[in-house]
Amino acid sequence: MPNPYIPYITKVKSIVSENKVNDIKTIELEFKNEEDYKKFDYVPGQFAEISLIGKGECPIGIASSPTEEGTIKFTIKKMGTVTSGFHNCEEGDIVGVRGPYGNGWPVEEMKGKNIVVIGGGFAFSTLRSLVIYLLDEKNRKDYGNITVIYGNRDPGEVLYQDILEEWKKRDDIKVVLTIDREAEGWTEEVGFVAPIVKKVGPSSDNAVAVICGPPIMIKTTIAVMEELNWGPEAILNSLEARMKCGIGKCGRCNIGNKFICTDGPVFSLAELKELPDEY
Amino acid sequence: MGIETDNKEIISSIRENAKWLLSENQVDVIIGYSEGTVPLSSTPIIIRKEEDVDKLIWNNLCYINLARYLAPLMPQLCDSEGNSLKIGIVAKGCVGRAVNLLAVEKQVNLDNIKMIGFNCNGIVNRSKIDLEIGEKEILDVSISGDDIIVKGHDWEKKFPYDQYINELCKVCQIKSPSATDANCVGECQELESIHDEFSDIAEFESKSADEKWAYIKDALQVCTLCYSCRQACPMCYCNLCFVDQNMPTWFGKTTQFTDIFTFHLIRAQHLAGRCVACGACSSVCPVGIDLNIITRKLEKIAKERFDYTSGLNAETIPPMMDFKMEDEEEFMLEED
Amino acid sequence: MDQKILKKDQIGKLYNELVGEYDFYAPINKKGNIAFEKIENPEDIVLDYLNSKIPPKSVLFPQNEVLFEYTLDEKDVEITDRQDLEQKILIFGIRPCDAYSFELFANFFSFHGDWKDDIYLKKKENTTLIGIGCNTPRTTCFCTSVNGNPFKKDNMDVFLTDLGDTYLVEGISDKGKGMVQKLSWLSDASKDDLKKAEELAKIAEESITTKIDVDTVVKNLETCFEHPVWDEISESCIGCGSCAYFCPTCTCFDVIDETDHYNNRGRRIRIWDTCQSCLYTLETSGHNPRDTKIQRCRNRIMHKFSYYPTNYDLLGCVGCGRCVYVCPANNDLRVILDKINKIEEKEDEKVVA
Repeated sequence: MPNPYIPYITKVKSIVSENKVNDIKTIELEFKNEEDYKKFDYVPGQFAEISLIGKGECPIGIASSPTEEGTIKFTIKKMGTVTSGFHNCEEGDIVGVRGPYGNGWPVEEMKGKNIVVIGGGFAFSTLRSLVIYLLDEKNRKDYGNITVIYGNRDPGEVLYQDILEEWKKRDDIKVVLTIDREAEGWTEEVGFVAPIVKKVGPSSDNAVAVICGPPIMIKTTIAVMEELNWGPEAILNSLEARMKCGIGKCGRCNIGNKFICTDGPVFSLAELKELPDEY
Repeated sequence: MGIETDNKEIISSIRENAKWLLSENQVDVIIGYSEGTVPLSSTPIIIRKEEDVDKLIWNNLCYINLARYLAPLMPQLCDSEGNSLKIGIVAKGCVGRAVNLLAVEKQVNLDNIKMIGFNCNGIVNRSKIDLEIGEKEILDVSISGDDIIVKGHDWEKKFPYDQYINELCKVCQIKSPSATDANCVGECQELESIHDEFSDIAEFESKSADEKWAYIKDALQVCTLCYSCRQACPMCYCNLCFVDQNMPTWFGKTTQFTDIFTFHLIRAQHLAGRCVACGACSSVCPVGIDLNIITRKLEKIAKERFDYTSGLNAETIPPMMDFKMEDEEEFMLEED
Repeated sequence: MDQKILKKDQIGKLYNELVGEYDFYAPINKKGNIAFEKIENPEDIVLDYLNSKIPPKSVLFPQNEVLFEYTLDEKDVEITDRQDLEQKILIFGIRPCDAYSFELFANFFSFHGDWKDDIYLKKKENTTLIGIGCNTPRTTCFCTSVNGNPFKKDNMDVFLTDLGDTYLVEGISDKGKGMVQKLSWLSDASKDDLKKAEELAKIAEESITTKIDVDTVVKNLETCFEHPVWDEISESCIGCGSCAYFCPTCTCFDVIDETDHYNNRGRRIRIWDTCQSCLYTLETSGHNPRDTKIQRCRNRIMHKFSYYPTNYDLLGCVGCGRCVYVCPANNDLRVILDKINKIEEKEDEKVVA
């Protein structure tokens, strides 16, 4: 029985800034041992506890898709001690990784359905993982129409611009980008995510919606979805909480009798309605 | 029949004043003490109706400093919009000191507070009694005449009251709140200063550094860092305590002696000149640690160097937050 | 005969025989507080006590525990795992409520997700419990209300009954029976000894005065999450960590890295934490799902009497009563549970917050 608190050792392969103000970076990690990489068998929507050994650990959603082989990616916003430490990392630095943890997006149950992916701001990272997974040539035929609606405060905040460009060129995915207010040079939608979702009006027929973003965005978007006749079992959210162990042992990420780290972070709206309003 | 009789009078005075305040609408709620459910304890209680005043008691086991609930102001003392209600607070002298000092530090608005003052006759030293009784269950503690009667299943023991109260209570000179009629009903006084020889700590002061260190180390060996002392202290109201800081992390949080000692030392430093000598920290400690010798020393330094005693009024700023041109600076500047 | 007698003055002999193989933990007196610590000198062992102040969870789940150690150099990190988890541990003098808490711990640490807490579970596997029945339960004990009993033997390896100058010794588990057999110098118990033990067990159970209808509590908790009773329940709480630290079933912990930068080494440790702390659920963004005292007090009760039964069909409380006599503000759990029980009776006053 191995010690579940010991991380895999990985090295930083690259570190890329994702936004204009330079407080969100994507870090790409390479496992030191090949067998560790094989053990790290993940699905989109899962997270890992990544650490700068000696500084601390934090739970971050996995931004890369399992179909992007060889390395794993995390998009990290500079907020506290550990995340600031990550921002100062250089190529070759050691990062500890524990995981993959959590239930992830239910990609098996989603087969045969139309998928609507709605993201706001920096929460888009596990949605990147999901969409790349769905679009992969091995998987694409298993899913219906894919619609992505992604909102940000301003053009400088839009993450993964290179990947978004690739998606826009494809004819098997619809991409709608929006920013809160008019900005020079911006030719796409303008408005908060909820009214843009209303405008796009995704049909709930044989469909699943995946929503990730700041609490206010989720709240307003869900209200719109309910107006469009979406049932609560078809709306999925990924929750966040303060986490330490990531494996349901330290006790702090509970909502009611569920732990966000093991029973989640993905919960359907129907499941959330059963739980206390504590997140 | 001293203590027992005094207590009866105190209880009756608290209840009368509480009833009057509520009936005159001078307060919305009153926070006081009620009968504890285990021996050697009392439970803080909030009452809102006149008919509940009989729940208020006083029994020499009311060791919680009720001012602790004023900063941060607990939701049960606020209205639905989060604004302070008009609060009546059963106040022994040290509670009064804490309320005054919290007002100076701008944590409470005295316009919202009415103290129900009385002449406190001391708090029983819980851990001293526990230690004397040992591993037998105490079933009842009461005051009879001037004795503390402690009863178990098939035994009874008597302790002389004046020897078994908290060390701080033995030397206390501010038994009722130092406040004006504007803020206090019942017993209160207007003190400008007190005279204190601090003779109770003379013996400890005369010990060598090694002896003092040994005493403190011995006292702290059982500490579990539960932070009951910090939580019970009315003057420890920081949103983020220094031990919990992590950008950067200043101190460790383990129970290795270095971390334990550092917590207690720094907390004492943060209370220099601010401690109101209520003894709640040692009364609440689940493992019976009593470091009030340090409390007394802090008070002595504040008195001797700055002629300051905390909580006598709601104006004077404590010495560690203020300066006067006449402050001696011999530790900063060399004599030419 | 399976039942044996251990004379109280033979404790030293027992210690000397077992200390070579086991880390021997027993109750000692630490400045007036009984605690389970590793015994270096058998004279330190205390036999006359009600229950320890600090719960014996501290033996297998210490307040600070190393998860792993590391050394840092220019561009590499080397991790060293725990090497001491195979060490055999013996805990002498544990009460039935605390022995049961060990089972709850093991259950919780093997549940939830594919990862078990192997650090704890390995130690538990290597632990032998020699427990003692409670002849005189405290008035604050309520083990019989939570499926316990002052003479419950199930969770022990060896069970002792205090007969005065001697202990009646019974091997309960296979491990325990094997141990008793090895202690061949123990004398046989007589019929009188067994009779006395039975009587003591009966008297002890009857002497428990606190009885709580926990079934109604569990039922009421299913629907009273937003009930205003929580305002009253959390009134006197001062938000310290005593109830959690002194509780034998509280398992929550924090994880921190402690690094010695001068020597490029460090360790990742876990320390006890409490859901009563205002920082417990504070996220780096500043959002705090439980930022009021009322929510935190409620979480503790819900966890032990609602979430635990929902998830594991077990209660999260063993009725030891420590939280009752340790709470600085006398926020008595028995009073809290009573208030929750009375909720249905005052249906007309119910207001959804």
